[in-house]
Amino acid sequence: MDLFLQQLVNGLVLGATYGLIALGYTMVYGIVQLINFAHGEIFMLGGFGALTTYLALPSGTPAGVALPLMLLGGMAVSVTVAVIMERFAYRPLRGAPRLAPLITALGVSIALQELIRNFYPRAKSARNFPQLVNPDRRFSLGGDVSISAPNLLTIVVAVIGMVALSTFVRRSRTGRAMQATAQDPDTARLMGIDTDRIIVTAFVLGAALAAVAGLAQGLRFGQVDFRMGFITGIKAFTAAVLGGIGNISGAVLGGFTLGLVEVMATQYAPEPFAGGAWKDAWAFVVLIVVLVFRPTGLLGERVAARA
Amino acid sequence: MSVVAAARTRGGALVAPFARQLGLAGSVLLVICCFLPWSTYSGFPGKMLNSTPGGARLYVLLLALFGFLFVKDLPGRRRALGSASTFAFVIALLTMLFIAYAGRGLVNVGSGAFVGVVAALLYMVGARSLPEDDRTAPVRSLPDGRWRAAVESVLCVLAAVAALAAFVIGLGIPSTSIADGEDYRLGGAISLNDLTNESQFLSFLLFLCGLMLALSRMGVIASLGAITKRHSKVLVAAGLMAAVVFPFTQGGDGYSLRIAASIGVFAAAAVGLNIVVGLAGLLDLGYIAFFGVGAYFAAIVSGSITSVIDVHLPFGLVILLSALIAGLFGVLLGAPTLRLRGDYLAIVTLGFGEIFRITVNNLDGSAGPKLTNGPNGVSNIPDLVLPGGFSFGENHNLFGVDLPFQANYYWLEVILVAVVMTAFLRLAESRIGRAWVAIREDELAAAATGINTTRLKLLAFALGATLAGAAGSVSAHVVKVAAPDSFTFLESALLLAAVILGGMGTVQGALLGATVLYLLPEKLRFLQDLRLLVFGIVLVLIMRLRPEGLVPSKRRQREFHEAGGGADALAAPPGHAGALG
Repeated sequence: MDLFLQQLVNGLVLGATYGLIALGYTMVYGIVQLINFAHGEIFMLGGFGALTTYLALPSGTPAGVALPLMLLGGMAVSVTVAVIMERFAYRPLRGAPRLAPLITALGVSIALQELIRNFYPRAKSARNFPQLVNPDRRFSLGGDVSISAPNLLTIVVAVIGMVALSTFVRRSRTGRAMQATAQDPDTARLMGIDTDRIIVTAFVLGAALAAVAGLAQGLRFGQVDFRMGFITGIKAFTAAVLGGIGNISGAVLGGFTLGLVEVMATQYAPEPFAGGAWKDAWAFVVLIVVLVFRPTGLLGERVAARA
Repeated sequence: MSVVAAARTRGGALVAPFARQLGLAGSVLLVICCFLPWSTYSGFPGKMLNSTPGGARLYVLLLALFGFLFVKDLPGRRRALGSASTFAFVIALLTMLFIAYAGRGLVNVGSGAFVGVVAALLYMVGARSLPEDDRTAPVRSLPDGRWRAAVESVLCVLAAVAALAAFVIGLGIPSTSIADGEDYRLGGAISLNDLTNESQFLSFLLFLCGLMLALSRMGVIASLGAITKRHSKVLVAAGLMAAVVFPFTQGGDGYSLRIAASIGVFAAAAVGLNIVVGLAGLLDLGYIAFFGVGAYFAAIVSGSITSVIDVHLPFGLVILLSALIAGLFGVLLGAPTLRLRGDYLAIVTLGFGEIFRITVNNLDGSAGPKLTNGPNGVSNIPDLVLPGGFSFGENHNLFGVDLPFQANYYWLEVILVAVVMTAFLRLAESRIGRAWVAIREDELAAAATGINTTRLKLLAFALGATLAGAAGSVSAHVVKVAAPDSFTFLESALLLAAVILGGMGTVQGALLGATVLYLLPEKLRFLQDLRLLVFGIVLVLIMRLRPEGLVPSKRRQREFHEAGGGADALAAPPGHAGALG
């Protein structure tokens, strides 16, 4: 039982990362119906931005000061790149066949990875990330179940981010404008909403949350890698679809579900299909099964086809 | 943006009255410059020291000849001149920089290059200051007469020959470092960098772009397209002949044949994917998995010593079975998931692709049953031997020309591409193909007219998978190995990029896209570490400049250039949960 609970905790931590990134996919998709494959790279850049900020700080800065600054630095990098990307790669393609931006996204994704690999110092292989939060420090959750400090931080920050975003979208004026644009961009424009600005807002919010995930990833694994965005990005997109793409609660639910499935499958899948080598396969099997029975994802609504 | 626009109008107003004279002077001067030496040292590719234009100078010269449009006002001339002059300027400037770089300084740039760059700039400014075209170029046809059909057929053959020539020249420009022993040195100490050779490929590519753009804006490409459409049989026959003849132009060089065969593999898969994405409008992000199913099956049953099953089936049977098995996978995956809409289907296919890759990676005896040797894959697939004793692994001599063994595999690929293309074209013009297009455009309306959308979508999916399986089994014999690295998501994405880049729903588009996407990274090797970076940026740029692809189908082009666009299923996905809640 303790083992199960421990894996539950691990799954939730993994799911929190997926959820944070999935929010970016789902918001952009909800508003412009674009699968922004480069979003995984925004997450990776968040990690590198945080690392850069750390390296720029004087040595001996206490973790309590360094961490918020690193978060801000990571967000600054992610958000800047996301805004540039939207402005120069995606906006000119609005109204183009929908698959064209998909290839653009792929190109941006490749270019961003290569940019880091070639021009970030010593980033051709994984770069060490400062272990500001001691991973050996564990908090007991009763019995033998415990959670390490970076994991706890990840889950706390992720939940704060998710709640903040959800409140923002539901309550704020801009958030309601985002919902309106997602429902019907033309009518939203008639109502006086600057849809271009709303689209940029979606990219900015998504990038900020991805930067949180990037910092958390660095703290948990003690390293950042230019390759880390691609696979994580695909998984996060899977999470967004699993929950029902375009749906904010769905992205969070999908993230946690995917995280749990991966961890549990590693532990409990029938031999010989258990173990880390098969975990991604299980994640996709569950995705396919869920979509067969709920074709629009866990929380996706059945919407009549638009004419 | 507005500042640039304002500057352009102001500058334009200043130059506009003299635009024709300025541009004409620029182009004439540029033609003259192409006969002057461009470098002070010998050895730069294209013989820049001689007075006969070669290499980049020839390209600039040909583009400069469009200057006759300053004298003769043909429809579409401003846009045609704009492309020709811009590309001429870019090529001239790049070449000058390359010459300076390789010669370690501007000192070693010849007078022709300096004046040429200035002349090209004048040419460009003149062209861009011309008044806007008031007519777009019409599609012209030859005058009626006895010889019309014959002349048109000859034009088709010439088009095929030109395409082959472009391919041969592009491929023939060396992408390896300069051979040792040749005197590419200046003053004994300074050696040329690989870049000099690669500059040739770059300028050739730019030249092709500029030429095609200028010709298309003068309406030449559209007119030629109309002619070739009337004589499609001649064009196909000529194209096939050109493809078959290609190995004889390579002087026994196996390397370029290997590349051409790899392009063939890539192109065959791209055409297959075009059925699924381009015709039926189903976004498939895991297409490479079906290809992989075929490749692995063929690898395992073809008598490879690394295969766990000791059978060696005849090649024809292997192709058939591979295609069938891949098709079966297509049906198994498609049947339950094809009622999903748009991007949900895309992620399911992506998931299937990943499951396939992970599975073949794990069936190595330790993480799962031993079947595929895990990451090492099934290698050492023996050479094909036809029943008559003809071995694909041996060099042959045909018509007095020594052909390396790669030519056999190349021809095998030509046959494969021809089969896949035929299947695509026959399907596209059939009742089924039209139903697919109807589903792609508007699934509800298609269903309302009595099309069984589920069955037809499944058919598209299964047929695409079947063709991929066949292509995969052939490719396993060409590359002699089936390993998980070849079947990653990136491969699927690149295939999709080939289809979209070339233009969805056309077979020429898929071929062109596959060629460009395969050759570009291969030829960008001189950039070394920056290769993929440039590749990514080029993808973004091409999509920005031509979102409908290089050779779009007529229907798509109309949709894209009509205001508002058509109700395209891929342009406005139906049924997304449109509420951020």
